[in-house]
Amino acid sequence: MKAWPGSRCVCGTLSVVLSLLLAAAGAAQDPPESPAAPPTPAAQSAPALPAAAAAAPSDTTADAAAAEGLPYVYTKWRHFNLEDGLPHDYIYAVAPHGSKVWIGTEDGLACYDKETDTMQSWKEKDGLPFQAVAGIAIDPKTGDVWLGLFGGGLARFSGGRFDHFHQLNSGLVNDVVYAVAIENDHVWAATTAGASRYNMVTKKWSIYTEKNAPMEEIWNYGVCYDSGKVFLAIWGSGVLEFDVATEKWLEYLDPDGEMEIDLYRDDGIVHVITTSVSYVEKILWVSSYFGCCRYDGRHWRGLYAHETGLPSDFTNNLKARSANECWFAHDKGLGVVADFPSETVVTYTRDETTLRGKADIYRAGKLLQTVDMEKGVCHNFIVDLNHDGPDTWVATGKGLAWGIGEGYYPGLQSNPQWLEQVKSPPVAEPVASANQ
Amino acid sequence: MRHVITSLLMVALGTTALWGEEQPAAPPTDAAAATAATIPYNIPEPLDKVLNEINSIGPYQSPKLSLKYDDRYAHTSDSVVPFGSVEPFIKHFLLQMEYTGAGRSIPEPEHLDTVKIGFVGPIMAIASVATGGMSHTEALGLKMLQGAQLAIEQANAAGGYHARQIPFELIVKNDNGLWGATGTEIVNLAYRDKVWAILGTVDGANTHIAIRVALKVEIPMMNSGDLDPTLMETNIPWIIRCVGDDRQQCYMLVDYIYRKLNLERVGIIRASNRYGRFGVREINDGSRRLGRPVAIEMAYKLGTEDFSLQLERIRASNVQAVIHWGNAADGAMILNQMRAMGMTQSYFACDRCLSDDFLKIAGDNAEGVICGYPWNPDRQDEKLDAFRAAFRERFGEEPETYAAHTYDGVNMLIWAIQTAGLNRAKIRDVIAHRSEPFPGVTGDIPLSAALDDAGDVFLARREGNRWHYYSRDDLGIPKGH
Repeated sequence: MKAWPGSRCVCGTLSVVLSLLLAAAGAAQDPPESPAAPPTPAAQSAPALPAAAAAAPSDTTADAAAAEGLPYVYTKWRHFNLEDGLPHDYIYAVAPHGSKVWIGTEDGLACYDKETDTMQSWKEKDGLPFQAVAGIAIDPKTGDVWLGLFGGGLARFSGGRFDHFHQLNSGLVNDVVYAVAIENDHVWAATTAGASRYNMVTKKWSIYTEKNAPMEEIWNYGVCYDSGKVFLAIWGSGVLEFDVATEKWLEYLDPDGEMEIDLYRDDGIVHVITTSVSYVEKILWVSSYFGCCRYDGRHWRGLYAHETGLPSDFTNNLKARSANECWFAHDKGLGVVADFPSETVVTYTRDETTLRGKADIYRAGKLLQTVDMEKGVCHNFIVDLNHDGPDTWVATGKGLAWGIGEGYYPGLQSNPQWLEQVKSPPVAEPVASANQ
Repeated sequence: MRHVITSLLMVALGTTALWGEEQPAAPPTDAAAATAATIPYNIPEPLDKVLNEINSIGPYQSPKLSLKYDDRYAHTSDSVVPFGSVEPFIKHFLLQMEYTGAGRSIPEPEHLDTVKIGFVGPIMAIASVATGGMSHTEALGLKMLQGAQLAIEQANAAGGYHARQIPFELIVKNDNGLWGATGTEIVNLAYRDKVWAILGTVDGANTHIAIRVALKVEIPMMNSGDLDPTLMETNIPWIIRCVGDDRQQCYMLVDYIYRKLNLERVGIIRASNRYGRFGVREINDGSRRLGRPVAIEMAYKLGTEDFSLQLERIRASNVQAVIHWGNAADGAMILNQMRAMGMTQSYFACDRCLSDDFLKIAGDNAEGVICGYPWNPDRQDEKLDAFRAAFRERFGEEPETYAAHTYDGVNMLIWAIQTAGLNRAKIRDVIAHRSEPFPGVTGDIPLSAALDDAGDVFLARREGNRWHYYSRDDLGIPKGH
């Protein structure tokens, strides 16, 4: 079994931990008078952000780690909730496109315009065909917004009009749609009873189930497209790869074939019940409720919470940014494999007591640095996420978070600028949209 | 505070293995153990503490309540553990799943006329892809519906939902539609009907679809009729099952056949649907792991009435016993055709064959048949007697297993609603963190870490024109651990 390149043993975290323990003990003795920043009126202009975060306790280990290189850490976040115009605060999906950010919720669709800092929303009374929007994909050619409706089929939002596709008027295989993706002229829908592929030019539908695809089970959960390949994450059937050129299928299953164990970490998909897939730079990332994994075409690598620092194995979704960076939507926080070669992970959580944001940086499972922030993710139950250039959008069980990637860099940097900023937080930066 | 320190220590000291290092052959820990360090487990939580905790936290907090932790999954004996000679890298389903969302902070609605509980079951016949043609489980679904109705009616007679003095209402949906239609029914129950919890269903495929939807919409789902082991092997914190599954029955049959009777060669005949396929999985695995692999496994299409092809091949395999996994009528016809062919092997079957349909068709051939069974209906229990009497009075017939388990399942939901109030997450919580087994008419229902019924299962043997129920202890069946 080949070890990851660039493995480094960073010892001496004890002092960091001790200082954290002391900090935690202090917090317990002296609870903050106000658990969160006092509510302020919603932001009136988009660029205004919460004050920069304070640095976590630092020591020689952290300094050494900083010198070796640290990943980019998002220290500036903005939150969106009902008060900001969202139709519901349980966010199922988020998809940025240009200056717009499309937001699917349990009860309605919303669109946030970053340029004007305005939010528009649609409910069923406004023509949205069904209340729950579980998946969103934007056709890059037309800008049409395709919506996976959880129990209501598929909808296209174009020119202010909703077109509704469902089991009784189209080739959609089932109305419970979990995810959608655009592949060339096709829109794919991952449904609870198979996958549908709709040719937006010829209007032809194709249906994929156990009849014509290697689906041991047909409970599709996630779909993505990149570089000529469509990948389906299927509950009970692992991952299926569809080659667009040849229309041939390839299946990826858990080699041990057992539900209650993962026999070997790196022998294949960690579990046959998968929840999402992301294929970027010819690297396949897979999430499940049992852990996550990465496949480079030759080697699999299982990613489990207990040895990486990721917040949990229960993973609702994921989105890769590159071959070496992937973001995971866990039930206990946001996990980021920030630099795969160096085994560096960043987790973003909301402290349940102070309600402040927190980022933990791990390398090879060891905690290097904790960054305390006024804001981080809205809630620790992360449902979906998406990247928007250097920014990131995080859908949670209670609100939407916008991570501002000012100065974002991939991989690692020595003594990065964000670290200097959190060590010396600016004092006069205005606080905006601090509700929640 | 103790949890915080424990958690930090875990981070510092527990993750000593390098992420990129060579994979250890026998890792010292698993995810369950890692998580267990942050929250205590297997500490019985008094109900008032559970309520205090879930009622005192805000939307951004998760309750700090003890979690269930099982030292072995599903009572699996060492000799039938998968890859038993190798320590797996990770073991699942040992530590109870948490619900960490914001659902506990959703306020109760102000005005309600009734407290709705959803029911999804096969109650109307229809052609179904999921069930392999014409549906065949209405007989089970209708019994489930009776059990649910009786539980609701009794709760209403006792004052309904006590906190508001309003009645419970059962919202009934059929699940025999095309494959996948059950998902839409769950969505509609959750979003449109706004039920507080759902009971259902029978068909394994439909139930899997239903629980995936329940996870997304965050609603408790009680299952009383789908014995597919994989149903609970999904890490969904919203699904609870109140009946012993096929895995438990298979373990009992395997232990009886091999450890007790010391048979060597067994054949399987099963339905070619999900129920048959998954039902015999543990028999296949258990037989192989005990060094006596199943000699032959034959599947038949639903609706078939001539099983001669399958039986000829099984006879040619020279087996000592035949195990059937499928519906009652099929099981009886297979038995009759076996005996007509002169096959005298012992006949074992799944719990579905313990039914009037089976006896009507099998007649005298039923004598000596042994079925796995999730409970002991001969148990002396005042609750069971009262249930039987009420059921007879209400429906004019004897309750059977699906009615009894559904009655228990709906009563568990009613208890949870009365206890937790009108909040789906809290309804889930009080069931998931209940420290005592639920006293059902089918027996005590202790929930495992996976929230599955971890109670005893039984073998039923047809003797002298009646079924006799035997526990593992009754028959002296070794466990293997």
